Amino acid sequence: MTTFSFSLQTGETGPLEKGSEPDRLRIPIPCHTPILSEGDQVLVGTKIAIANHDGSGDMHAPMAGIIQDILPYSMLIKVNGKDRAKTKKAPSADGAPLKEWLRDMGAQVKNIDKAPILIINAVPPEPGISIYDPLLRDYRKTLELGLETVQRIVKPSKMFLVAAKGNRANAFANCTVMHVAPTYPNGIDEMVIKAVTGQEVLPDAPPDDTVILSVSDLYFIGRIMETGRPLTETIMTIGNRNYLIRVGTPVGFLAEQAGATVQPGDRIVMGGPMRGLTAINLEQGVGKDTTGLQILRKDESLKTTDNFCLGCGECERHCPARIMPGMISRCAEFKQFKRAEDFHIHSCIECGICGYWCKAQRPLLQYIRLAKYELALLRKDETPSDMIVQAETGQAGEKE
Amino acid sequence: MNKPLEPILTVSVPPHVHCGRTIKGYMIETIAALMPAALMATYMFGMGALRVMALSCAVAVTTEAICNKIMGRKQSIDDFSGLLTGLLFSFLLPASAPWWLVTVGAASSIILGKMIFGGLGASPLCAPVVGWAVCRISWGTVMDTNATMLSSNLPAPLQQLKYFGLDSIQSIQSSTLLIGEQLGGLGEVQVIALLLGGAFLLIRRHVRWEIPTGFIAGILITTWIYQLIDPTTYAPPMFHLLAGGTIFGAFFLATDSASSPIGLIPCLLFGLIAGTMVIIIRVYGIYPDGVPFAILLTNLFTPLLDRIRPKPFGGPFSYSSKDEEGATCEKC
Ligand code: SF4
Ligand code: SF4
Repeated sequence: MTTFSFSLQTGETGPLEKGSEPDRLRIPIPCHTPILSEGDQVLVGTKIAIANHDGSGDMHAPMAGIIQDILPYSMLIKVNGKDRAKTKKAPSADGAPLKEWLRDMGAQVKNIDKAPILIINAVPPEPGISIYDPLLRDYRKTLELGLETVQRIVKPSKMFLVAAKGNRANAFANCTVMHVAPTYPNGIDEMVIKAVTGQEVLPDAPPDDTVILSVSDLYFIGRIMETGRPLTETIMTIGNRNYLIRVGTPVGFLAEQAGATVQPGDRIVMGGPMRGLTAINLEQGVGKDTTGLQILRKDESLKTTDNFCLGCGECERHCPARIMPGMISRCAEFKQFKRAEDFHIHSCIECGICGYWCKAQRPLLQYIRLAKYELALLRKDETPSDMIVQAETGQAGEKE
Repeated sequence: MNKPLEPILTVSVPPHVHCGRTIKGYMIETIAALMPAALMATYMFGMGALRVMALSCAVAVTTEAICNKIMGRKQSIDDFSGLLTGLLFSFLLPASAPWWLVTVGAASSIILGKMIFGGLGASPLCAPVVGWAVCRISWGTVMDTNATMLSSNLPAPLQQLKYFGLDSIQSIQSSTLLIGEQLGGLGEVQVIALLLGGAFLLIRRHVRWEIPTGFIAGILITTWIYQLIDPTTYAPPMFHLLAGGTIFGAFFLATDSASSPIGLIPCLLFGLIAGTMVIIIRVYGIYPDGVPFAILLTNLFTPLLDRIRPKPFGGPFSYSSKDEEGATCEKC
């Protein structure tokens, strides 16, 4: 039995601490094109890669150093100094130019468009992740600046701050505070949108009239505006403390700093235990969207099996999307991906709850993702990542 | 990043944590929930009952092992599901059942009720009941508890009701039925012990409340309606609830995970249909106790009932239907 709890209550957290400086950075560039080559010297804030997708932020060097290695999905920088690139000035224009400038500075702006409703999600994304708490407490100035900036693009008529009951939530000007029950998965964007507007939106199909941003998004945008320097950091909960970590810091380095030893077979989870990614080795660097780091021992984590589905319905009872993960996983198991659509696979918000409860320990979310991926391939004979973007734009186009 | 680095980590899809429940744990706890009834049965019917239960379990497990061998599957008897099926099957037999009947029944429970459909979880029918039906139809007289246990002083409420009418059961107290002093399947009549086990399963959440509630409600409502029609020919609700295998069916047979529906409303309906069917069979059928047949029949409704679904989150949506919608929009 695990002692895992679905509670999203964060309790009192300490101040936001600065992560130590590693001697190397391994910057993830899964959807980026590098613009420098091996051997080049970079300064703090030099742009090193351009995003391939609309709305994703470009990548900048978090520390000064020499590019040692460029691999398909990552770039290795050997740190050798502290020199900084020049700061940049934000454009005075609102709307699109500002959005483009923020994107150029590394912020994720895909969802920031003109819309009547702006939601600020302050509900922890997962149990054990408390990154928003120190921000809301100690960095109000930065958050307010971030919010002002976002407002210049979104021009909302209504703003909401959504927090979990029992957690800190001080409203900003003109912003209504809403509370949701402090249990996972209430912090997932789709659930928060539903709590505010009552509207259920499919994942991958962002609504036209609502923009949702997390507290850390605001913080990062606020920081960019304050300093004129690009976004090169992420905020992570490690243990129960929160750190400002440079993008690309190897997970092994973080584990070492936290005094943890990693044994063979452990999982290093980047993010939370329900939705986090596992690092493939100790050298993997954290990305801009990494929210936490946890080490799960071999015997305390879920060991998936290929047991057959019992049909017990445990997964279905806990699924927030009201679908039948068991049936979808059966379809995926026997490669009947089209049939998975009949079981409403596209409604799945990938919260991972079904896998948590499955008595047969089936890798349910993995089956679901496999089926989604195969369905996407069936629909468009193109590379999957391009497809996802196209599917989204296609949906948006249809609504207009 | 491509070169192997020590230590080698586990890489997997989330979630990374689990509630800790296993198939084996579920089976063991269900078997534990049956233990009070098994003890009561031994006490009531003597060593005969113990013999039937042990033989049935042994045959069930062996059959499953052999099936796995023949089908070239991974050995699965260590999840105790075969053992559970064997035990459930034996609960439906009279304590006087001859060895060959137990063997044939337990083996057909496993083969026809489970393995033929692909093993645990794939069966559309409740496995022990399949074995029971095979025996009941093939060797009706040996399965008849009343005829084979003539030496016993215990009442056989359902048979008496069927063949001698309502008057013959007036003398049978509810409390007698409750403590299991009646003839019937050796385990299915241990009402109080089964209630205990059922409560345990409910508390441990291995069984959800929907199916037992629906089942019992179905029994009570249907008998009540019959009583309204003619109180002099039809037995009262409490009698039907406590006589025969009603409680056993409600908590242990109807709730079989593979053959019952999943959602809340489907489960309630499933229980209701099964409960109603029990009474209809008891009233009109040629078999005194309708529980196993009612469950078997209701199992056939499961795929239909499972179609009653709440609206999916943000949906329904599928790529193919979306294209069609797009086409109609362009036309108009
Ligand atoms: S991950 Fe599982 S529980 Fe969560 S929405 Fe998808 S199917 Fe439902
Ligand atoms: S919880 Fe697991 S075994 Fe039960 S229905 Fe869902 S997938 Fe099947």
